[in-house]
Amino acid sequence: MSVRMIGCSHRDAPIEVRERVALGHCQLTPALAAWQERFAAVEAVVLSTCNRVEFYLAADDAALPETDAVAAFLAAFHGLAPEEVLPHLRRKDGREAVSHLFRVAASLDSMVLGEAQILGQVKDAYERARQQDAVGPTLHGLFQAALRVARCVASQTELHQHRVSVPSVAVGEFARQIFDRFDDKNALVIGAGEMAEETVRYLREEGIRDLVVANRSAQRAETLAEHWNARAAPWNELARALAEADLVVSATGAGRPIVSAAEFSAVEAARAGRPLFILDLAVPRDFEPTIAQRPDVYLYSIDDLQSTCQTNRRHRDKELPKADRIVDAEVDRYLEESRHQTGGPIIRRLREVWQQPKEEELERLFRKLADLPEPARAEIRRSFDRLINKLLHPPLESLRNESRRGTSSALLEALAKLFQLKD
Amino acid sequence: MLAGVGVICFTGSYAVALALELSRLVFRSGIRGAFLLGWAAAGLVAHSAYLYHEALRVPGSPLSSTRDWYLVASWLLVVVYLYLTWCRPRVPFGLFVLPLVLGLIGVAVFLADASPNPRGPASTAWGVIHGVSILLATVAVLVGFVAGLMYMEQARRLKRKPATPRRLRLPSLEWLGRLNYRAIVLAAAALGVGVASGMVLVVRSREGRVPWSDPTIVSTWVALVWLVAAALVAAAYPPARTGRRVAHLTVASFVVLVAALGVGLLWKTQHGGRHVPFVPPPADCPDVRASEKGTVPLAAVGKVPAHGPAHGGPP
Repeated sequence: MSVRMIGCSHRDAPIEVRERVALGHCQLTPALAAWQERFAAVEAVVLSTCNRVEFYLAADDAALPETDAVAAFLAAFHGLAPEEVLPHLRRKDGREAVSHLFRVAASLDSMVLGEAQILGQVKDAYERARQQDAVGPTLHGLFQAALRVARCVASQTELHQHRVSVPSVAVGEFARQIFDRFDDKNALVIGAGEMAEETVRYLREEGIRDLVVANRSAQRAETLAEHWNARAAPWNELARALAEADLVVSATGAGRPIVSAAEFSAVEAARAGRPLFILDLAVPRDFEPTIAQRPDVYLYSIDDLQSTCQTNRRHRDKELPKADRIVDAEVDRYLEESRHQTGGPIIRRLREVWQQPKEEELERLFRKLADLPEPARAEIRRSFDRLINKLLHPPLESLRNESRRGTSSALLEALAKLFQLKD
Repeated sequence: MLAGVGVICFTGSYAVALALELSRLVFRSGIRGAFLLGWAAAGLVAHSAYLYHEALRVPGSPLSSTRDWYLVASWLLVVVYLYLTWCRPRVPFGLFVLPLVLGLIGVAVFLADASPNPRGPASTAWGVIHGVSILLATVAVLVGFVAGLMYMEQARRLKRKPATPRRLRLPSLEWLGRLNYRAIVLAAAALGVGVASGMVLVVRSREGRVPWSDPTIVSTWVALVWLVAAALVAAAYPPARTGRRVAHLTVASFVVLVAALGVGLLWKTQHGGRHVPFVPPPADCPDVRASEKGTVPLAAVGKVPAHGPAHGGPP
């Protein structure tokens, strides 16, 4: 059985192409069913995310589909012309395909190095294929190994420990150093921009329950509040909302600060010294920078966080060689085990085939030499064993050498034919 | 075998643990945590063995002298350190706690009086309450001081907005603030109980008169008034128990505590520390025999200072 990967990713195809060939959540099951109908003898797992659409395939060499067949399948499924898809597909075979999957699962091939979602997506893709009986022993072993490698990279490197997006750094690294828990905190979101919304997502993930949205446009505030199951506060009650908040995320499009130092002084008195975390994501800034000098106020602008994001990216990059070494070692290990599993039955059968005539010859000999004492019989038996081992040593050594080079299948076939080995 | 365990054994272990904590600033290691806990725990075992041996050897130990008192305080602080490190292994509590532990041991070895304190009141339940309460108050103030320092360092770092330091992770400000507040309240309560039980001891003695001018008594009262005021302010006025204010309160409480302990160490006082030397009464004195059975305080027969501490030690 050979392994092949055919697909496209952010490395080979622009987003316009990826969008057209992507298989959405509800398309994956029918796509896999259509695949099974067309390529019944091929094990398949389809991994489709916003950054990649990849088919992991396993079958005998002759049965493995070529790139144009996969392009035709994808094009037919999406109602496109095959020529629109084919130039963007890449093919990886054998070791390359295994290494690619391991790198993808370990998030080494992601657009944002070390992002955590990909492992779950690989797991889902495998589970879906398994439920549809599209996975056989080869891909089962391969994906189990890929998940193990991903966990290995996560635990042995710091790749996943450094957040790299501004909102995740703000919440996960800075707010976490101020607050021990978030479920009893009040968060105020000023504005309804994309960045603010993304930050709200992280805040919700951290457990924030009490969320207030304030925006100049009351309607947009209502919409965002409804989406996040939050409360909308009237714009003219911003000062009161600030006084009650523990965390503030501000991302308006205002041309000048919406909270001046003087305005904040009035709020400060009502806050009774409680620490306040302000994440000012707006450009130009929503909070006058001098507010950061107030005691118990921790004000971060987008620039303050960008430097941490860049530092974290550098930290992740530093971890890359270590992660690569882990993946390489695991690829070697996987291939070694897989060859062992492929060659094991033939070698076992070969030994069995030679054992049978040995036993027959020994029986004949001992029948003729009936008076032979037991120690002598044992010695003869050992001699026969040694003889078989010596005769088998050269072919098995050759097989091992070929296995190391990854070209053992032809030799295994030859051995099976020469010695008439059958399952 | 226990006799072979000396102060140097556990001090050495704690010093190694501190060195390992300091190494966090230099390099990362996956197994350092286990070594660190191992050395600190080994030190604690040796420390416990030493105190146990002392308790067998000297009647009234492990709180029979000012020296013992400091050693027990350091032992208790190590217990707190191990608990915190066990719960939050990534936080370098040792960088802040272990220097205090070594400092307490240093004071015990080089400054504190090793001669036994009067045993009379110590043999009563009130004496035990007095000694243990003051010990608890001291450790609470020390823990609060550590939390206060960590709070100020964490707040400073957050204000400076650098990339998050990987090698020196500190707990959140909220957690540290909570620890600060609890430490102040516990210290005030424990010291209140300690002083009250001390008063009871004096009242029960034959002289029944509080030596108000004694430096240790004065400094203890100052510490009590400060801690109770701080705890009351923090309890009644919420802003005082949040943010950096509570951290400042605990650091100031530490200064008051050090002053109180310093008075006990440096001044000639009737209460622990460099107290009036204990003169053993004649063995045939019936009151002494009775006191050894824990029935009559020695202070009551006028052989030792009437205001002798419960188990000795400052304040």
